[in-house]
Amino acid sequence: MKSDQKERSKKYFNPYFGGVLLGLLLLLTFYITGRGLGASGAVKSTVVTAVHAVTPEFAEHSHYLSKFISDDNHPMNNWLVFEALGILAGAFLSGALSGRLKLKVEHSPKITSKRRLIFAAFGGLLFGIGSQLGRGCTSGAALSGMASLATSGFIAMITIFGTAYVFAYLFRKNWI
Amino acid sequence: MNLKYSLLAAILVLLGFVLLILPAKEQLSETNPEVLQYELGEVTHFISVDKVAERIINQDPTLLLIDVRMADDYLKYSLPGAENIPLEDILNPDWADLLGQIDRDIVFYSNADVYAEQAWMFARRKGYKNLFVMQGGLNNWFGTIIKPIEPTETSSAKDIETYRFRKAASIYFCGGQAVVSEANPQDAIVITRKKKKSKVEGGC
Amino acid sequence: MGPLISRGIIGSEWDLVIAILIGFAFGFILESSGFSSSRKLAGVFYGYDFVVLKVFFTAAIVAMIGLLYFSYLGWIDINLVFVNPTFITSSIVGGIIMGVGFISGGYCPGTSFCGAAIGKIDAMVFTGGMFIGILIFSEAFPLFENLYNSGNLGSVKITETLGISAPLFVFIVILVAIPLFYIVTKIEKKIKKVNY
Repeated sequence: MKSDQKERSKKYFNPYFGGVLLGLLLLLTFYITGRGLGASGAVKSTVVTAVHAVTPEFAEHSHYLSKFISDDNHPMNNWLVFEALGILAGAFLSGALSGRLKLKVEHSPKITSKRRLIFAAFGGLLFGIGSQLGRGCTSGAALSGMASLATSGFIAMITIFGTAYVFAYLFRKNWI
Repeated sequence: MNLKYSLLAAILVLLGFVLLILPAKEQLSETNPEVLQYELGEVTHFISVDKVAERIINQDPTLLLIDVRMADDYLKYSLPGAENIPLEDILNPDWADLLGQIDRDIVFYSNADVYAEQAWMFARRKGYKNLFVMQGGLNNWFGTIIKPIEPTETSSAKDIETYRFRKAASIYFCGGQAVVSEANPQDAIVITRKKKKSKVEGGC
Repeated sequence: MGPLISRGIIGSEWDLVIAILIGFAFGFILESSGFSSSRKLAGVFYGYDFVVLKVFFTAAIVAMIGLLYFSYLGWIDINLVFVNPTFITSSIVGGIIMGVGFISGGYCPGTSFCGAAIGKIDAMVFTGGMFIGILIFSEAFPLFENLYNSGNLGSVKITETLGISAPLFVFIVILVAIPLFYIVTKIEKKIKKVNY
């Protein structure tokens, strides 16, 4: 229904408005901290802390994880983790105000929930690996990188979106 | 709706265009640590008190003296025309315009060499150029210029020459009339009394 | 003069408080723009919803312009702004992997947090997948190590790589983005609407 569609899209911000807001927030973040935003780093910190808590020797011997452990700076005490907590709270409030809070699996009607969840897990897994190699994700490396005119930001942007476009045809059944 | 977007687009283009036509600011690029280490070892970053005295007397506009001691010390006594930037304030961007002058020789000095050297290092690392340290600092200044060591009869002509220069300079900096040497009148250094800044006092 | 924390104008005790506040605003804006919906996000790849492109590019441009103006006005010391170092091979391979992850999972880390916050189970699963992915990466790190550390070009800026000035670059990006926005809006209208 056309009016239904309009009703729903009215609840979302105008994308350019959202973009300007986000850009201003990014600018403010740089102004205060000298760094941009980020997201994958928070998950990485959580992994480091969790592994360190469960099997400390493993974490210390791990070539990769040990880099991020230091005695005085408890990895959980990490800027990105607190930022991520903020993201959860902020998104929750926004969803609450717009009536979008609902426990569900969002998927195309053409596929099952189960299929969607499998692909979500798969996608998350890849993003976990990819974000470490790429030293960031779309928020950290791409968005903040581009804002600071870092070459790595543009590389991240182009490779992530470029690859997604290339594989879009393959995954089309999941979405449309 | 279309008007709103066109307006936004126009604003963005305008902002970008303004950025484009703004005159470019001198960007300071940091000095490579290896270069820094090399320069530190070279004696050429030192300037002698004699040279400094000569340039002050000649009112050389390309000389810029920076006293890196605390403000109190600077106010009690400092060299004529010197600016005061305390050591810990050296990297403050407020001084960027002063220290960034590429057509002047910037000479750091303190009581001895230590603070001036540190100031030189910080400023050089940051990327400023034409930086020097007055060798021996104010201690050397007093011992050489203000109270020059008298040469003996067996000293070389050059040493006597240097002494004469320093004696004249001493009088210049402490106020006085011209001194004419009896031996070689044509070599006399003529000093004229200058009006001194009120804050530069003492030391004589 | 910014950055405020690097220059000591705001004490680093505030660091984490600021992190939460900024994160809060980030999450709020993302969710309100629709980034909590995987189908909306995937729309950029199929043409039915270009919200990702519009928000992303607008944000990047606003921030780019903002930083340049701030730097020119002396409000921020641009040399203290962190420039993500370029590890070219690692970055490209990582980007490709993330690209596949994006199109199959329909989220990226930041947006998955938003989705999870409003109850989307697929977003939560995505986040869990990321956790495991990072674990796998650290387990298999010896395999990846060479790739991870290869191609280090240092903190290169795009202006050095392309050899043009920052204002010129930003201006070109703006000139490219505006017709692009116009085109994608037209495409959106033509493609079959998807009901989320």
